[in-house]
Amino acid sequence: MKSKTYLAVATLFFALILNSCTTSTERRIIDPSEDVKGQVRAVLTDAPEVPPRITNKSNTKVIVELEIIEKQMRLSDGVDYTFWTFGGKVPGKFIRVRHGDLVEFHLHNHPDNMLPHNIDLHAVTGPGGGAEASLIAPGKSAQFSFRALNPGLYVYHCATAPVGMHIANGMYGLILVEPLEGFTPVDHEFYVMQGEFYTSGGYGDPGHQDFDMQKAFDERPDYVVMNGAVGASSGENAMTVQVGETVRLFMGNGGPNLVSSFHAIGEIFDKVYVEGGSLINHDVQTTLIPAGGAAIIEFTCDVPGTLHLVDHSIFRAFNKGALAQIKVIGDENHNVYTGKEKEEVYLPEGAAIQRISQDKEEETGPIVELSLKERMEAGERLYKSNCMACHMDHGRGITGTFPPLVNSDFLQARTDKGIGIILHGLRGEITVNGTKYNNIMPAVSMSDDKVASILTYIHNEFDNGGGLINAADVKAWREK
Amino acid sequence: MSLKWTIWFLGCLFIGMQLPAQENMKMIPAGSYKPFIKGTTERIAVEAFMLDKYAVTNADFLAFVKANPSWAPDKVKALFADSGYLSHWPENYLDNKSLESSNEPVVNVSWFAANAYCKWKNKRLPTMHEWEYAALALPKGATDSAALTQINNDWYSRKTPKQAEVGSIYENKYGIWDMYGLVWEWVYDFNSVVSNDDSRNSEDVIEGLFCGSASLNASDASDYVSFIRYSYRGSLKAKYTTRKMGFRCAKSIQ
Repeated sequence: MKSKTYLAVATLFFALILNSCTTSTERRIIDPSEDVKGQVRAVLTDAPEVPPRITNKSNTKVIVELEIIEKQMRLSDGVDYTFWTFGGKVPGKFIRVRHGDLVEFHLHNHPDNMLPHNIDLHAVTGPGGGAEASLIAPGKSAQFSFRALNPGLYVYHCATAPVGMHIANGMYGLILVEPLEGFTPVDHEFYVMQGEFYTSGGYGDPGHQDFDMQKAFDERPDYVVMNGAVGASSGENAMTVQVGETVRLFMGNGGPNLVSSFHAIGEIFDKVYVEGGSLINHDVQTTLIPAGGAAIIEFTCDVPGTLHLVDHSIFRAFNKGALAQIKVIGDENHNVYTGKEKEEVYLPEGAAIQRISQDKEEETGPIVELSLKERMEAGERLYKSNCMACHMDHGRGITGTFPPLVNSDFLQARTDKGIGIILHGLRGEITVNGTKYNNIMPAVSMSDDKVASILTYIHNEFDNGGGLINAADVKAWREK
Repeated sequence: MSLKWTIWFLGCLFIGMQLPAQENMKMIPAGSYKPFIKGTTERIAVEAFMLDKYAVTNADFLAFVKANPSWAPDKVKALFADSGYLSHWPENYLDNKSLESSNEPVVNVSWFAANAYCKWKNKRLPTMHEWEYAALALPKGATDSAALTQINNDWYSRKTPKQAEVGSIYENKYGIWDMYGLVWEWVYDFNSVVSNDDSRNSEDVIEGLFCGSASLNASDASDYVSFIRYSYRGSLKAKYTTRKMGFRCAKSIQ
């Protein structure tokens, strides 16, 4: 008995020690003096492509060659812009290294460029993220090295004055410092980056657009785009996957000003590496990506269709271009989503004729008949509060939806002068003045006196032959 | 031997007198301006001085190289100009008609070369304050600085990628042509605001530019074009040459 207790306590202790060891190794601190074995040239890719997974298991010297190119490109259909780029496209080339790697960075400023540039990589531990070591005039190259001390997905950008202008012209991209254990394998990895553009003209104004510093100050962009241009990764440029495949998105936000409410219409993020770091959140609808920040997002595409990757600050998506698409191809899975099962007319009143109740106190009193003038006055008031919402002012109706009451052949043909319609409602197809209507009018619970006034008003005011309808007439029809 | 040198010297003087140097210069009247530099709240006084009406052309610079063979592209010392020096000139530059008549501004010249050229002309490079002050003058006929911002914008966004000729962009109120929109221009003290990486106080580079950035506000949105010039100068060393950078000369008034 005693020895069993000892054993249990010892086991518990052992488990605790083991457990604490496991947690302490989860976060590995890189010793910068650790050896670096071998040397590779980094594979760089343009969005939406991502460089291949890193297979090296030891710290490696990775050589990155990045060329800065200023060039005119398409911002939207018929709209050109002079972009400043890391590697010829916006966003800049995707760089992938491994936690603990030594990165030897070579930045080249093309001789035809107008301006000096540099680079600030958020993955760098050091002054300016490399910016001060890399300021270069056109036609020059700069070299600096850094140790990838922290894993995660990081933004890089130009930090040459005026910094905002260099970023606004497209100078940003992502560098991934892959954790030692690597990511779980997925079927597709994609690179998407949001950024906004401040143009001299408005959204869609054709021709070459200049940068507008005032709009940038005011944070009033005309374009908010995914991957550097309207439609860069949507429509025929959309990313494509098969049903059942898994996707990892490396999503960045270059800014320069706006924070992205990143969302995929039609998908839930199974996993989000919040802010591109080590904190993992699950089952996320919309994740915030700050300007100069990123997120790693994973999900499975269970059903066919098009996923819209948007900034859910939604006017940016539908009115300024912040939309990319993933087309999911394959068979339907009705266990997950049925698609449209049926469509039918929605009637808030229900399919059967409803009764609109009114006060009934008058019904108990004796019938008091009114003059034509009195009926018209009461009728006008009652029409406006009970009928006009559908039959419109002056009884115009809405062609095809609510029949008109003006000179209505349908109304004039009825022997009840329309009393039955108000008392019992009406549904089904009718033809009024040559136009077909198929709708429902609810029955209106209203005193004989009120029905008489409304109908008197309709018959006189709307040119249906005139005449005075008495409460007694209504009562007679009601009792039929 | 000494006679030959004397004749050469006199000849140079004669040619110098014949050169319409003063005609091709304009006087910039004394005044002051508020420069776009971190921490500068006071206006900087600028004495009256003479400034070249046009940027130095390929033809001008060819004459200089012919007279000063040590500045020839194949002879220049690496200390004074990097490998890009005059790299846009053809091999046979000494006998090239189109170069002799080229009205395009000379580019791919180092600060040392520009400085030597101005000395040869018995002039000097303008100081940064002189240059910036002269460049603030509005184009003839313009009433506000938006015109200058537009010229800069057009240039940065490269609507005309081909190198324009001198005297083709705009003339300002002092009668000086193309201060903006043609080429970047060397100034005498280009590295006085932002130190280059030879200096130990490299934080000043960042601070100077970033604090300048902080001083920008909605009321002076057009200042960013000056900002770009300052950062450009900050990326240079005296031996650097670039495809978009030339110069013009100045002269003090005695």
